[in-house]
Amino acid sequence: MRSLTLHLKLLIAILVVLGISVTAYQIFVLGIPVTEDATDDLWNIDAKVEFVASAKDPVKIQMFVPPLSRDFVSLNESFISNNYGVAVNRVDGNRKVTWSARRAKGNQTLYYRLVLTKRYSGEKSKVKGPTFRDSIAVEGPEKIAAEALLAPIRQHSADVETFIGEAIKRVNNLNDDNVKLLLAGDPSTVHKAQIVELLLSIAHVPIEKVHTIRLAADQPQTPELWLRSFNGTDWLYFNPETGEQGLPTDRLLWWTGDENLITVDGGKKANVTFSLNNSEMNAIRLAKLTDENTDANFLGYSLYGLPLQTQQTFMIMVMIPIGVLVILILRNLVGLQTLGTFTPVLIALAFRETQLGFGIVLFTIITALGLSLRSYLEHLKLQMLPRLSVVLTFVVVLIAAISLFSHKLGLERGLSVALFPMVILTMTIERLSITWEERGASHAMKVAIGTLFAASLAHLIMTVPELVYFVFTFPAVLLIMVGFMLAMGRYRGYRLTELVRFKAFLKKADS
Amino acid sequence: MFGFWKTWKALEARGIMGINRRNADYVLKYNKRSLYPIVDDKIITKERAIAAGIHVPQMYGVISTEKEIDNLDKIIGEHNDFVIKPAQGAGGDGILVVADRFEGRFRTVSGKIISREEIQHQISSILTGLYSLGGHRDRALIEYRVIPDQIFKSISYEGVPDIRIIVLMGYPVMAMLRLPTRQSSGKANLHQGAIGVGVDLATGLTLRGTWLNNIINKHPDTTNAVDGVQLPYWDGFMKLAAGCHELCGLGYIGVDMVLDQEKGPLILELNARPGLNIQIANDCGLTLRTHAVEARLEDLKARGVTETVEERVAFVQEMFGHIPTVEG
Repeated sequence: MRSLTLHLKLLIAILVVLGISVTAYQIFVLGIPVTEDATDDLWNIDAKVEFVASAKDPVKIQMFVPPLSRDFVSLNESFISNNYGVAVNRVDGNRKVTWSARRAKGNQTLYYRLVLTKRYSGEKSKVKGPTFRDSIAVEGPEKIAAEALLAPIRQHSADVETFIGEAIKRVNNLNDDNVKLLLAGDPSTVHKAQIVELLLSIAHVPIEKVHTIRLAADQPQTPELWLRSFNGTDWLYFNPETGEQGLPTDRLLWWTGDENLITVDGGKKANVTFSLNNSEMNAIRLAKLTDENTDANFLGYSLYGLPLQTQQTFMIMVMIPIGVLVILILRNLVGLQTLGTFTPVLIALAFRETQLGFGIVLFTIITALGLSLRSYLEHLKLQMLPRLSVVLTFVVVLIAAISLFSHKLGLERGLSVALFPMVILTMTIERLSITWEERGASHAMKVAIGTLFAASLAHLIMTVPELVYFVFTFPAVLLIMVGFMLAMGRYRGYRLTELVRFKAFLKKADS
Repeated sequence: MFGFWKTWKALEARGIMGINRRNADYVLKYNKRSLYPIVDDKIITKERAIAAGIHVPQMYGVISTEKEIDNLDKIIGEHNDFVIKPAQGAGGDGILVVADRFEGRFRTVSGKIISREEIQHQISSILTGLYSLGGHRDRALIEYRVIPDQIFKSISYEGVPDIRIIVLMGYPVMAMLRLPTRQSSGKANLHQGAIGVGVDLATGLTLRGTWLNNIINKHPDTTNAVDGVQLPYWDGFMKLAAGCHELCGLGYIGVDMVLDQEKGPLILELNARPGLNIQIANDCGLTLRTHAVEARLEDLKARGVTETVEERVAFVQEMFGHIPTVEG
């Protein structure tokens, strides 16, 4: 007996530890969200390219598209163009799409569409970049002005990062005479960026222009210029207007370098307009979508790997043990009496379709009518099987009648009655009537109400969306539940109803 | 919540056994599943008992198929009174007690006149398994009707009072006299409204009663006191019950016995899952007593001895008997 207890304890411990560790692995290592509400933004970016093609020459349009290296994952990318050949190639960390056509005429419109999301999880890949560059040659007053600017920058900075920040701030101080000279009356962002590049090149600090798109819905956009520099391990991003460091998370890197977004051969008046909109999507579904494009295949062996139809079936199935657990607790801990052991779970499943209130009403009506039929059949002295068959047929007719009636009355909900398990109903009627005869009406009512209560509670718990999501996503939770069920198998304490039942003892002790 | 906890602790202190403990520590531990058919099927129990020389109500016949229902007359023969039972019935359901014949019909013990067809329908219901535990096919048992000893006349209403003794590994641990009431319609099952009266294991004197989980001292139908009644042949009952362990091999059973006015103590049936209301009737928890018996068994095992029926009865009578009568 003792070895059996030890055996059981070990088994429970193993199951619980296994269940908890698998779930913990899924949550903490794989990063699967614990609730369904954890949704991710899904961005839909359209770049519309318009230009006028000249009739004679072949047309070739080159446009940068996002390289999507680190922080974003592309879910779908499409190039919409009539009669144009499309080619995508990578150049120096940028991606470029080339549309080409031998003959085109008049206004042309091409689309580039990208659906992307923030990278779901996982390690960031290593990046490489230059840490040294040669100085850009400058002569005369520019050289003196640049050096005059550099001296205080050197003084006010400690490392590359602060050096760049300081340089950008100085260049943006338009009251400075040196800056005025260098800018030569062109205080545009692009020009400022060039001056910054010049200054930094003298200090042999490499800097790169970065063109970004802001992930904000329904706003007209033009690519925004940022500067970045490589510090040996990572890229540092700087705002060329303020010198602030760090790229906001809503910026999407479109391309780097000095080149224009678009170059058109054989056309003119090229114009690119961006439009963005976003939608939300469940994180798990998103992860499933992305796993074709990335290495996020950890969902491959979960229930999400099943076809959608099957998934829905399993969402119901994995909840059955929860319902069974509810019945177990109600019967063995509380001491509630129900008809049959798992009949309430089956009734609870039927409630899924009918909704709770309506389900209880239908169940009560059918059972009550079935009981009266059963008591009438009692007079005919039939054998059990024929009698059961009659009751079953009656139940089917009753269900059909209720469906028809409610349909005529326009109560579509009434049609769901057809999903009540007929055999369960028949057995419930049979058992209830036997209980009625043998133990009396009050006991039968008690059992019937107990069954309905257990079924309702099981239904309510089995349909909590958070719980369904959790159990479906982390099926290892079922192992923990098996551990609990095993422990219940050797529970020997009182049931709550027994405390009432044996009250006679206590009254005695008090008096 | 706190009140529940207090009740819990109080019950535990008194050694009251709950269903979960009975199932986990006694029924599952001492009763081997393979031996259940012996007690679940009254016909097998009876055959075993007869083979062991234990007195049981005489069996007139068994009906196991619809065809055999035609043999009913042959089985009843000249008997005017008899009992029809489902062999695997539970809780006294499906039992038909015929007390007499009346104008070619039969009169049940409650005075209702029933026709032969109704009896045949009842047997047919039994055969289809309406009253059996798992709902599967069953056999009908037709046997001698026990006529209760006159001693019970004043404290029972119709039916046959029986004596239930709970036996753990051959040691009787608690006894109860079950008296039918009007509410239980002559049946001796507590959940149907019969009275349970505790019995002192040593003397056979009745203690006090329990009726529907309440404590009572008088029979509700006859208003006679149920306590202080001396049961005759008490040691005989104790030995009969203790011997049932060897008969069926199950370690934790409820033995139901009757006292027939002519044939004396008879074994009616054995129960592998005896109820817990016997504790209320005896105003005593089962756990304390079963633990004492288990300690005794452990001790005997260490010494390598086994006890005979007489020794076991003597031990429990010494241990649990001679309860001072309760006042009030």
